Amino acid sequence: MNFWNNLFKTDKKPTKGEALFFKIFELFVIVFVLKYAWQWGPYIQQIGEVVLPLGIAQYVDVSFMFEHNISLVNAALISVFAILGFVRIFPKYSYLIALAFFHLHYVSRFSLGEISHGSNFIGMSLFALGLGLFFFGNNPVQYRRFTMGFIFFFFGLGYTSAAISKLIGTGLTWPSGKHLWLWIAERSVDVASAKGQFIPNIVQEWVLDYRFLGTLSLVFGLLAEFFGFLLWFDKTRPYIATALIMMHFGVYLTMSIMFDVYIYELLIIGYPWAKLIDRYLNFESNPLLRKTYQWSIRIS
Amino acid sequence: MKRESPLKKSVKVTLVTLVIYGLLVATHLGEFWPFSIYPMFSKAGNPWKRAIVQDITHTHVDSLWKTTDKSGLPGQTVALNPLNVNTNDIANYLSKTEVWTQKKQSGVRKLLKKRLDNSTLLVYQARGSLTENDKPKVEFIPYLYFTADTTLLNNNLRVK
Repeated sequence: MNFWNNLFKTDKKPTKGEALFFKIFELFVIVFVLKYAWQWGPYIQQIGEVVLPLGIAQYVDVSFMFEHNISLVNAALISVFAILGFVRIFPKYSYLIALAFFHLHYVSRFSLGEISHGSNFIGMSLFALGLGLFFFGNNPVQYRRFTMGFIFFFFGLGYTSAAISKLIGTGLTWPSGKHLWLWIAERSVDVASAKGQFIPNIVQEWVLDYRFLGTLSLVFGLLAEFFGFLLWFDKTRPYIATALIMMHFGVYLTMSIMFDVYIYELLIIGYPWAKLIDRYLNFESNPLLRKTYQWSIRIS
Repeated sequence: MKRESPLKKSVKVTLVTLVIYGLLVATHLGEFWPFSIYPMFSKAGNPWKRAIVQDITHTHVDSLWKTTDKSGLPGQTVALNPLNVNTNDIANYLSKTEVWTQKKQSGVRKLLKKRLDNSTLLVYQARGSLTENDKPKVEFIPYLYFTADTTLLNNNLRVK
């Protein structure tokens, strides 16, 4: 039970910093939910048919989303329910309804065969916010504690699961530099196809010249992912978050794949911002901070 | 009736979610968004298939259906980002389609429609693999030829 107590901290004294930090985190999630909703909405209208049914699309023909601007209506529904959740109108169900429409949006957007993971953490965060409001909506402090604990638990699990998938899928030879060569070749086609040309950056040139550098970077990435479960513990969270952020930058530099949202989210949840707010910001002497805090409490 | 403590309730909700998560990913090949086992890049060293689109409007092509390497690609590579088309979507169309029905053909056409009014496009599948010397090798196979009013397919593709 000690593990869970450290994760959810149900007995800890609430602070202003915690409340303000949580609302900022919540705003971040909602902003990205809206971004995906309106990025995918118009794109779905370009799709002709379902090549790979994912999620609910295995049970429902989602091709109705491709015509008559229905995906734009869906984007609007996601937006409305996400915003209602944020301002605590119809709080028990708003986020969960937004998540259901968001899932439909995802399976429609990625019905052509690509399985994108770029939005999974935002989806999990919305799910955490939704479950939190459903089960703890009448107690803002417990709501925050549950939501953050749930997010730490599943993000940590997700990273560790990614490492285990690699060890099962390939084995201990996964970090061989030759594998990175093949991925760089793959990405060279992708980038040329997307932008019209591919020019390798300096890091890619080094990796292509010296195989051991590729091996080193893959070893680092695999270890960082494997120890993702260290996000579960307060003491280790900033260190593993830093390692994972470095890993994501490494993926960007070597393979030109930017998981930007993961980096932002790790920056937000990986460090003790609430404590820093409490320690260094004076709510009484700063009217803007005081007003922001009061506003966040009104809709917490 | 005694109310459940917030800690017990939090643990219960988390564990029930974990079970549902596990069941969904176990029965849906590791993916039920937002749940996932995150298997990207788990199979290292395996051959891959991608796609690239060439604009050959102003290029004389001797042999339309010739497999080539990168240096032999005719015309200009079409940048798909400005067309708001994701290259992965074209790649998956080519790699996941076994029988090229009219619907499949028009599906790819729909993605490229912004360029089809006044261009001749050749859609290639890129296939990458490691050679015996552990060096990556990429070859480009022409799949589809598009003009505003014509669609031609590589003879090796199954058409229905």
